Amino acid sequence: MSIEVSHLSKTFPGGFRALDDVSLRVETGELVALLGPSGSGKTTLLRVIAGLETPDATGGGDVRFHEEDVSGASAGERKVGFVFQHYALFRHMTVERNVSFGLRVRPRRLRPGKRQIRDKVHELLNLVQLEGLASRYPHQLSGGQRQRVALARALAVEPKVLLLDEPFGALDAKVRRELRRWLRKLHDEMHITSVFVTHDQEEALEVADRVCVLNKGKVEQIGTPTDVYEHPANKFVYNFLGNVNLFHGRLKEGPPTVATANAAPPTFYVRPHDIDLRRTPPEGDPSPIRARVDHVSPAGPIVRLYLVRDDTQEVVESELTRDRFTELSPEVGEDVYLVLKNARTFAEDYSI
Amino acid sequence: MLIALAILLLTIFLILPLVLIFVSALAEGFGAYVHEVLDDRTWSAIRLTLITAAIAVPLNTLFGVAAAWCVTKFDFRGKSLLATLIDLPFSVSPVVAGLCLLLVFGKRGWFGPVLERLDVPVIFAVPGIVLATVFITFPFVARELIPLMEAQGTDEEQAARVLGAGGWQTFWHVTLPNIKWGLLYGVILCNARAMGEFGAVYVVSTNQADQITLPLHVQRVYYATYVRVVPVFAVASLLAFLAVVTLIVKTFVEWRFRHDVKRDDADTE
Repeated sequence: MSIEVSHLSKTFPGGFRALDDVSLRVETGELVALLGPSGSGKTTLLRVIAGLETPDATGGGDVRFHEEDVSGASAGERKVGFVFQHYALFRHMTVERNVSFGLRVRPRRLRPGKRQIRDKVHELLNLVQLEGLASRYPHQLSGGQRQRVALARALAVEPKVLLLDEPFGALDAKVRRELRRWLRKLHDEMHITSVFVTHDQEEALEVADRVCVLNKGKVEQIGTPTDVYEHPANKFVYNFLGNVNLFHGRLKEGPPTVATANAAPPTFYVRPHDIDLRRTPPEGDPSPIRARVDHVSPAGPIVRLYLVRDDTQEVVESELTRDRFTELSPEVGEDVYLVLKNARTFAEDYSI
Repeated sequence: MLIALAILLLTIFLILPLVLIFVSALAEGFGAYVHEVLDDRTWSAIRLTLITAAIAVPLNTLFGVAAAWCVTKFDFRGKSLLATLIDLPFSVSPVVAGLCLLLVFGKRGWFGPVLERLDVPVIFAVPGIVLATVFITFPFVARELIPLMEAQGTDEEQAARVLGAGGWQTFWHVTLPNIKWGLLYGVILCNARAMGEFGAVYVVSTNQADQITLPLHVQRVYYATYVRVVPVFAVASLLAFLAVVTLIVKTFVEWRFRHDVKRDDADTE
């Protein structure tokens, strides 16, 4: 089932505008990530889709499931699966009772029989790999296990849409990686239209079919992970999707399109992995940038170097592969030259 | 040192008087004690106290849960005002509360003439006693539940709603089980106060036999038989016994309650 939100706006009683004219379409079977910093409105958007928050009464926009307007429907009527950030498991119920809750509260004529419910629960616990834990209570489970119970509970009502709020937010790094790969696999098997919220760009880029980048209640860009990473629409997206170094108007390439005499010097954005180092000034560069190696962080497959520019004293971050680092082996305190392999400018910087 | 002081004070102010009540009650032997307890007027007082508690406690349990539910699970204008109003009976002297009832329902009060025409006696009758008790014991359940429900948040209720549960289902299956020990604790305190309230009830009752609750009865017996200690202490022992039972149940519930809270803490780690 597809989800379409159009021109959503949501202002909280305090006057905080969490969503500002947000439109987004999620196709059937798609897995979309809502990515943004805290306060960007991503969770609010998810909750509006679920029916847990209502958009502004006037001009607040609408939510459609499968082309049908569900703006007036309550959270229960929308029949979505929702996984809460802190799981929100029913603390006094066993895993089995938690998972079966959505089936047990149905009106009598729609409620499956006891046996069917039990079978369904066991099927789901199998799916989330928690077979033996049906009679445990939430407090007897680890974070990752609770997360999966929450997912099984959401799936029990066979929702057409699955919404996940920071699904891996409260887990440690290793469990996170495992779970998100597992979620992706699960999604590929079940093909249920899913939207998840995250502030972790790596998570969004790895798991999602498409990423919707939000900032201050507005959509900055919607696209595939490759799209948003390779072709960021603006500097916010570029900044948010990875570390970045700023260089102010002193590059040989110059601004590619717009340049006026009285404009401020353009800003160039360069990712750390696009900065290589040389011992000698690069050929053909009239004004090479010289910097001193200030700190090296050699652990891991990528070696991170912090350099201080000679001319501006700004700190520049560079990432070298382990091989390149070994080949070059720069010492702390040594002077090197920066080679910018891929610099980017954004039109908005010229309009100021 | 502090502990010794605390124990000393406890002994002087709490344990000794409690022991004294039972010792004095039994001063003339068990027969005399039973005779006093089985006295008709004592029984009538017990009956009225039980009736009053049987009305006030369920009512205030209902009010308390509803009020705590409103205050903690919803956002609305005047919410803090409501929270303050719930505490009002705690901050007002019971005698003043009784006097207020007199002003509202008394012969010359706002509703006095209407009630008189309808021939529904409130003040100086059983309804007045019940009303006074309800007023005085109003905050106990709500006060107990509000911090608890605030700490638990609304996540589980939202989860239930998304899963298709209606308001009642959410309340019965999710909210109530989560607050049951806190609720029971509040009900016990509410009940203890309902049975023990003196000031407010005193103001709205007369000296007639059918308007005497146990605490009022203790006072009446005391003035009637002040040369003998057995009658008054025999009656007082009933209230003291109630207090002891309350304390035991309360300790158990508190223990269970803390047990649950500890579990919840482990939950949120």
